[in-house]
Amino acid sequence: MNALTSALWERRPQTSVRIVDAHAHVGPYSLFFIPDAGSDGMVRVMDRCGVSHAVISSHLAIQLDAAAGNAATAEVVGRAPDRFTGYLTVNPWQDPAGELETWGSDHRFGGIKLHPDLHDYPLTGGRYAPVWEFAQRTGCPVLTHTYDGSPYNDLPMVDEVAVRYPDVVILAGHAGATPNGFDAAIEVARRRSGVMLEVCGSFNSGADIARMVREVGADRVVYGSDFPFIDLRMSLGRVIFSGLTEEDRAAVLGGTMTRLLQWRSGRE
Amino acid sequence: MLIDADAMLGRYPRRDVGTGSITEAMDRMDRFGIAEAMVSHTLSWLHDPVTGNRELLDLVADEPRLHPCWVMLPDTCGETGTAAEFVAAALDGGVRAVRAYPADHGYDLAGPDAAAMLGAIAEAGLPLLVDAPQLGWPALESVAAAHPGLPVVVGGLGYRLLRQAAGVLARTDNVYIGLANLSSHCGLEWLVERYGAGRVVFGTGAPLRDPAEAVTRLMWAELDDDAVATIGSGTLLGLLPLAAR
Repeated sequence: MNALTSALWERRPQTSVRIVDAHAHVGPYSLFFIPDAGSDGMVRVMDRCGVSHAVISSHLAIQLDAAAGNAATAEVVGRAPDRFTGYLTVNPWQDPAGELETWGSDHRFGGIKLHPDLHDYPLTGGRYAPVWEFAQRTGCPVLTHTYDGSPYNDLPMVDEVAVRYPDVVILAGHAGATPNGFDAAIEVARRRSGVMLEVCGSFNSGADIARMVREVGADRVVYGSDFPFIDLRMSLGRVIFSGLTEEDRAAVLGGTMTRLLQWRSGRE
Repeated sequence: MLIDADAMLGRYPRRDVGTGSITEAMDRMDRFGIAEAMVSHTLSWLHDPVTGNRELLDLVADEPRLHPCWVMLPDTCGETGTAAEFVAAALDGGVRAVRAYPADHGYDLAGPDAAAMLGAIAEAGLPLLVDAPQLGWPALESVAAAHPGLPVVVGGLGYRLLRQAAGVLARTDNVYIGLANLSSHCGLEWLVERYGAGRVVFGTGAPLRDPAEAVTRLMWAELDDDAVATIGSGTLLGLLPLAAR
């Protein structure tokens, strides 16, 4: 039992570690019903558990309309900048350069979000070039959806981009998403120092997360939940009970992501 | 107190989840503060229900914290005997619940082939456990309507099924939701507010799922302690045969 699990068993919010959710969204989503998908409900859940901060891209941005969705993300962050940072969603079919121009210097955004599967466009495609060039120039981290076997964002494609842009921090969202994907994501992260593993999804486990940390280091693995797409507590519980040392767990839960969000004060 | 209604023993062929041994199951329960568990055997699911059900009884015979959950088949081919024989053997063996895999075992749970078995299970007072991917919601509702005395606990909802589940929960009073991989954002609280904590059953899905999910979801739920206690063990205990409560 430690301070974090003590808080859980006593059913009170944890306060022993700064938790930053590196993979979150906001708002409704057409494929299924999400109760309380707005930012108020998200903050309430964060407070219930003791999660300090979440990095979000609106569902509107990833699903339908990057421009309107990025504005929605900015609005949510603007209302609660201590709780949220935005991912600027770039849809390769919806003016990538224009979105970067509009929002690239806006401090409400701390990262870029790509979802090749939703946009039917490969991570390696040329329409994403402005993203990689922006990230290379500024140090802005890029979170991309990954899924083992996908024609658009399989792990070899992350590897290919990481070779082309070795200085860019690429967060491999879901770390491949399946057991086979976890193996592939670990292999890519071991080869490419810019690739970080983000651990949310439906098939991950504490044992998988512990293996990722053993293989690539706690400074290369970050906690994300995908909430409100998926409940925040699913992924959080896996990390809490993963058996990591307190130091490694603190890095995964928030230390590493906090560091990655500091880029505007450095290279910009 | 936590009682896990959704756990399994035995090997698993599609990812590394350990050996499926009793020792691992007990260690896991101790680690997550789970007092007791209803367990099925992967042999019953992924090889042969007859063999798996039999071996399960031997495995848990000396483990008072583990309670057997058998896997049913329709009695059309006589594999598990007649419905009456299956249920009598289950009760004789201390079986607490019955699990169905209609998709994986190739039958229609809502059709005439399974009706006799479901009727016998209901008459014996045993709850039926089935994971959401194993059948559609209209079929599930048909089963619940045809056997109003049969508690049906649906597990493995994931995060995409509240629209389907909500209608069935509203139109029935013998359908329950399992907590294993109930992963809709705020879905647990939403279900409890609408249908009551007495419609939700704690389960982990272990070892295929990490028990950390269900435990963390429940402990940090936006629910009062009474609701958590109901979900943690109360709902399930109310569904079990009287002798097992």
